[in-house]
Formats: sequence, structure tokens, C-alpha cells
Amino acid sequence: MGIINFLVYLAIMMAIYGILSLSLNLQYGFTGLANFGQVGFFCLGAYTSTTIVLVFKLPFILGLLGGMLASTLFGYIIAIPTADLKEDYWAIVTLAAAEIIRIFFLNESWVVGGGPYVGGAFGVGGIPQPLRSLFSAYTYPFFYLGIALLCLLVAYLVINSVTRSPFGRVIKSIREGDNLAQAMGKDIRKFRIKVMALGGAFGGLAGCLWAHYHGFISPEQFLPLETFLVWAMVIVGGKGNNKGAILGAVIIMAFYNSTRFLKDYIPIEEVTLASLRMVVIGVLIVAAMLFMKEGLIKEKKTIY
Amino acid sequence: MSFTQIIINSIVRASELALLSLGLTIVYDILGFANFAHTEFAVVGVYLALFLNVSLGLGIVPAAIIASVLTGIIAIFIDRGVFKKMRSSGGIIVMVTSLGVAIALRNTVRAIWGASARNYSVALEKPIITPYFRITPLQIWIIVIGLAAMFLFHLLLHYTKLGKAMRAVSDDPELAQASGIATESIITYVWFIAIGFASVGGILIGMETYILPYMGFAIIVPVFCATIMGGIGNPYGAMLGALVLGFAENFGLYINFGQVLGIEKIFHISKGLFIPTGYKPAISFVILILVLLVRPRGILGKKKAG
Amino acid sequence: MLRVENLYKSFGGIMALCDVSFRVEPKTITGLIGPNGSGKSTLFNVISGFYKKDKGDIYFEGQKIEALQPFSIALMGIGRTFQISEAPQKMTVMENLLLAPKDQIGEKIVNVFLHPSKIREQNEKDLQKAYEILKLVQLHDLRNEYSGNLSGGQKKLLSLGRILMFDPSLLLLDEPTAGVNPTLIKDLVIAIKKLRDEREKTILLVEHNMKVISEICDKVIVLNFGKKIAEGTPEEIQENEAVLEAYLSGSARQRGANGNS
Repeated sequence: MGIINFLVYLAIMMAIYGILSLSLNLQYGFTGLANFGQVGFFCLGAYTSTTIVLVFKLPFILGLLGGMLASTLFGYIIAIPTADLKEDYWAIVTLAAAEIIRIFFLNESWVVGGGPYVGGAFGVGGIPQPLRSLFSAYTYPFFYLGIALLCLLVAYLVINSVTRSPFGRVIKSIREGDNLAQAMGKDIRKFRIKVMALGGAFGGLAGCLWAHYHGFISPEQFLPLETFLVWAMVIVGGKGNNKGAILGAVIIMAFYNSTRFLKDYIPIEEVTLASLRMVVIGVLIVAAMLFMKEGLIKEKKTIY
Repeated sequence: MSFTQIIINSIVRASELALLSLGLTIVYDILGFANFAHTEFAVVGVYLALFLNVSLGLGIVPAAIIASVLTGIIAIFIDRGVFKKMRSSGGIIVMVTSLGVAIALRNTVRAIWGASARNYSVALEKPIITPYFRITPLQIWIIVIGLAAMFLFHLLLHYTKLGKAMRAVSDDPELAQASGIATESIITYVWFIAIGFASVGGILIGMETYILPYMGFAIIVPVFCATIMGGIGNPYGAMLGALVLGFAENFGLYINFGQVLGIEKIFHISKGLFIPTGYKPAISFVILILVLLVRPRGILGKKKAG
Repeated sequence: MLRVENLYKSFGGIMALCDVSFRVEPKTITGLIGPNGSGKSTLFNVISGFYKKDKGDIYFEGQKIEALQPFSIALMGIGRTFQISEAPQKMTVMENLLLAPKDQIGEKIVNVFLHPSKIREQNEKDLQKAYEILKLVQLHDLRNEYSGNLSGGQKKLLSLGRILMFDPSLLLLDEPTAGVNPTLIKDLVIAIKKLRDEREKTILLVEHNMKVISEICDKVIVLNFGKKIAEGTPEEIQENEAVLEAYLSGSARQRGANGNS
């Protein structure tokens, strides 16, 4: 793989994970909702868009919107009964919900068209890439990077406007407990449900981008590991700061992808290397929680 | 599968889950956070036992005991290095930190021992076969150890100084501290007991099936589910939760929901409506969500003073 | 205005409120006093919906409110402060105040994108009001400080400022002067009186400072062990035998407890 190809690939991954990170930051960083099942949105978005584009032969843009809609609904539905739960219950429920989604796609191959060796554990390939015929194999990734960056920009602008609005003020007050917001007449349930729905929309968007970039998805790609990567991004980058969330995605993705080449220089097995990479991610989360509570970019103060 | 067989499988599973849930619940009770690294600690014990058993050639029983003691000590060290520094932080902060600890532990194990399935070196023992069920000597041991652990825990909680102190800290941490109970030293014991038990549970699961770095994650939801079902922070509840979940996981696949819901005649489902085998892991997830919806504080619940 | 009838609330066998009944008349200041643990804060929590009552009824302007969620009770016009002031670590004093107003257009996500100018207009108005209130509670210079960094007394002032911003018709104030600088207490007393006299607010307050109580309260209710033991004007209360006894034995109880530990 040429260095340019790699850098474009890396930038696309940074953009996709940047969207996931912004979404989790909205949930955890601003609202205090510890979603340990962020990968569920990602998975649902990817599969929904694949079904729409591959099975129903509809255009990419509808796949994108469909994927976002499915994840929005999922965020909404999971939040309705759980909105009153304490944060530790919330964490385990979201983790379980994301696993249920993965197990569903592992068992139901018909949702992606079915057929021999398609769907389920085999995964599904041949997912169409938007406007692929207009580009050469070399230039296409640049075009896709454009799409991914555009989506990241939209996610940033939307989430940033929301967190800076009166809505953002309310969710920040909910972050540290229910009492204050309730005493000020805010229906905290509604706010939490809305946050999960909006977070779901962008988590789903990231999933769509992932599916149509790789052209192949399988339940194996949506293990809880992905959720933990996104957590590392939010915590290292700076919770409660949208620029921080993106910076976190850039740093973690750069580390995660570039360390792959280490095996070309030092004698180390692929599995060991992959494990050590995750050890670093785990230690980074712990170290940040201990010594750098605010992350690299602190939450911004609104000055009057 | 015969009815008796399903009951036996359920009890075996419940014993394993109880060993793990007990520890999760007392750590929550005394330290006030949901420890997402709990089952990963168990995996550390599983692999230490593997090392002692396979690489050093120790018998499985001494290997399991030494490994569980070592894992308990590792837990104490991690508490000193990490969790102790966040005693005054909110539960959510510590919980997220425990997620980081979990990722680091699991992958350290995977980096050292690799990702493929392993087995302890134990002689295969002949199962006892009757017309109604079959049970291996190991499964009998699992049930015995599970029951013994619960009984020991009961004795500890009610008849020792440590147990009384633990209950005092659980009821009212500030009052306990004020009346001269050394909270920090109790926390040390709690970690040791909780993670020691978890390690034993993990090793038993490893003996019954096989050993994988991923097994900690595979049981985290069932263990949390059993704990929450019994009322998080309540050790007896955790035991009851483990029992209910053990039965639910094993009976779940054999229940004809068509008949139960009475929709068989309406939809003409001739083969019955069963949960497909592929969804077995999802059973505990669904139960967890249902339990939280109906009784957010679990079946037995837990009352805190003040 | 507020009518509480035969209210009961217990926690695991301990009676926190036992058969409590009273009325709060419009445009008055009612004081709620009693030794520590007598049920004052529990009463606030039940009225504002944070705790569910066991038995009894609560009426606000003729409507039963005890089944409502805390936020709906707040929106009906009952605002409250907390004994331990709520002060988010990462929200500035000004943000705390801007959080309070009801019916903010910008609390709906769609409006953030559809009506940004309306949101800005509303924000501008709220901001003017917030500046006035900040001057009143003397937190103007601290407006850009995170509320989590304030002192205990300053947090009390912030709570008062926030509830003024929220603008309910009935204010439940839980120890509004605790920890507040004595010179500032005088200003607070004047401000609370003004709320009643000029802005026609009704106030129910828990207070330990008897000087404050006798200076501003129209009526005082005394609780002990969850029961109402007296009700009357501040002068009547100060001469009430049962009240004196409750306070004396209460302080004796406390001395005993301290001696044991």
C-alpha cells in the first residue's frame, strides 16, 4: 500500500470515527449518559444502508438517510424505557442492546438478501460505492474522503449548535444529577430520549459511511471493541468539547492504524500486536481518567 | 433433552454465575461502582491457573487455588494504583475507568497467551449416565463448590468481625468510619474475596468448556444480569439471580412460546414457536432489560439507610 | 395557595412525616422550623414531588399535585431550592441563571435550526433579567465562574438567584441564609420581603436563624419527629412550651450523640 493510499484511508477512518466520537460525546460528554453500546448504532446504520442499497437497489443517499433513521429510532426506543435508570444500569443495558443487534444480524441472513454464503457470519460483500463508475481505482478514495469529511462537518455543525443552545444548557445540567433540571421544570426524560435519538442518527451515519467504503460488512466488525475505541477518543480528546472529540478520533485512529506496520520492523505476531495495541488503549483510558480528567481540549466556558 | 438434564445444566450454570455475581455485588455495595473489569479479573485467574497447571505441571486444584489467591492480590494492587485515587469521584467516573482496566487486562492476557482456545490438563472423567440424565464429576464439583462458596460467604457475613464491619460500611459508610471501622482495610478484603471468588468461577467455566481471552466478555452480561436481578449490592439476591438466570438460559430454548402465549392456533404454527439456538446469548440480555423495566431495583432490592 | 392534609411519609420504618396538615396563604411568608431530622426537608421533597408520599393530600391552588412529576409541579408554579445547593461543576453562574426560565424556544432541537433569531432574542431578554438578579444576590462579579467552585454561602445565593429567574408563584426556600455572610443576610431579608410585598410571591422557608424568622415570617410552623407541634405567629411560637421543649431535648439529644462517638 502506497503511503498516499494509506493516508487517505487513515483520513477516511478518522472522519468516520470522528462522527462516532461526536455522537458519544453528545451522550456522555454533555449529558452524562454512559452508552457502552455505541457500536450498536454503527452496526445498525451499516446494515440498514446495505439492505437499502444492495437489496432494494435504491440510491446511496437513501441508504444514508435510511441508516440514520433506523439508528435514530433505535436510540429513541432504547431510551424510552431506560431514561429513568441510573447511569450504571444504563451502561449495561446499552451494552446488551448493542449485542442484541449484532446477534440479530449474525442470525438473520435474509435481511441482506440471503443466498448461500451471504449474510450471517459470512458477512455481506459487494456493497455498492456511490458514483464509483466516475472515478478510477486510484482517485476514488479521494472522492470518498470528500464525502466522509462533508458528513463529519455536518455532524460537527449540528451537534455543536445543539450543545451551544438552551437545549445544550439543559443537558449539561442533567449531566451531574436530575435534581436541578427537574426543579427548573425540565422534563429530563424527554431530554435524554432526544439525546439518544440524535446521537443514534450520527452513529448510524458513521455506520453507512463505513459499509459503503469497505464494500463488505460482517457482525465480526461490530464487536464491543469498537465502542471502547470511541470511548478512548472522547476521554482522551476531551469530554464536553466537540473539537476535542474529533481530536481524540484523529489521535486514536492514527495510533491504532499506524502501529500495524510495526510488524514489518520487529518480529511480533499479528495477534500479539493487536492485543498490545488494545492494552495501550485501555491504559490510555485509565491514565486520562486519573491524570487528565478534562482530556486534551477542555470543555469550553461560555463567557458573558 | 430430558427435563432432569435441563435442570442439572441450569444448576451447574447457576453455580458458576453465583461465584461471579457475588463478587460484583459486594464491590458495588462497598465501593459504589459497577465494576466492568470484574469478569476480566476472572479471566486473569483462568490463565494464571492455566500457566500453573499446563506450563508448571501443577495439579488443577492447587493451580486453581494459587491462581485465585494471586488474582485477588493483583486486584488489590490495581485498586491501590487506580481505584483508590478516585474514592471520592462519582460512580460513573470510576465505572468508565473500570472499562479501561477491563480492556487492558483482557488484552494483556491475549498478548501473553494468544487468542486461540486452550484447555487445562485434566484427565477426562467418565460421566455418570442414568436413563434420565448424564452428569460429569466436574459438574458435581461445580455445584458443590458453588454451594460451599455461598455458605462460606454467609458465615463470613454474619459470624466474623470482617463480615459485620462490611455490613456496617454497606449500611452507612460515614457512620462506619466515624465509629472507627477502618474502611480502607475492609476494601482490601472485599477486593480479595470478590476477585478470588470470581477467579474460581472463571476456572470452573474454563474446565467445563474451554479457555479463551474473550470469555470474560462473554459472561459479563449474564453476570450483571444475575446481580441486578437480585438487587445490586445484595449478596443473597445475587445468588437468587444466578439461579433464576441459570434456569432461564437453559429452559429458554425449550419453551414453546406459541403455546405459552396461546397464539399457536391463531397463526397455525405447527412446529411450535421456539427461541432459535443462535439467540441463546441474547436470552440474558433480554431478561436484563425486562428486569430493569419491571423492577429497576431487582427482585429482592436493597434498602440503603438515609 | 398550598394546602397539605394529613401527610405521611416513612423510610424503612422510620416516620419522617406523620399526619402533617397546614395551609400557606397567598402573598405571605411562612417559616418552617424544627430540630435537625424533624422532617423539614422531607416535607419540601414531598411537596415538590421528589419523594412520593405514603398517605395524605397536597393541593396547590385547588389542584391535587401529589401524583405529578417534579418537573410538572415546578411548571405549575412551585419553585424550590435544596438544602445542599445544586451547583453543577462545569456550568458558570450565568449559565445557571439562563437555565431557569420556562418556555425557552431553544430547548427544542428543531428550533435551534429553524428559529435561531427567536432564540437569540429570548436569550437577550433573559440575559438582561439575569444581570439584574445577579446584582441583587451579589454574584455579578462571579458570573463567569463555574458554579461548582463557589463557596457554600455563594451557592445558596446562586440558588436564590436561579429561583428568581425561574419565577414561580410559590417559592420553597431550604435554608436560604445558611453559610451566607452576615452583612449580606440583611440584604437577603429585604429582598425576600420585597418578593412578597412588591411582586406578590408566596414563600415557604426552612430557616435556622430565629432572627430572620421573626423578622420576615407572617406565620411559623414547627415540626418535631415528623409531627407538627405548633403553628402561629413568630411571637406566639417563641413562647410556646412544646416548642421550647423540643429544641431543648433536641440539643440534648445531639450532645448525647456527639458524646458517644
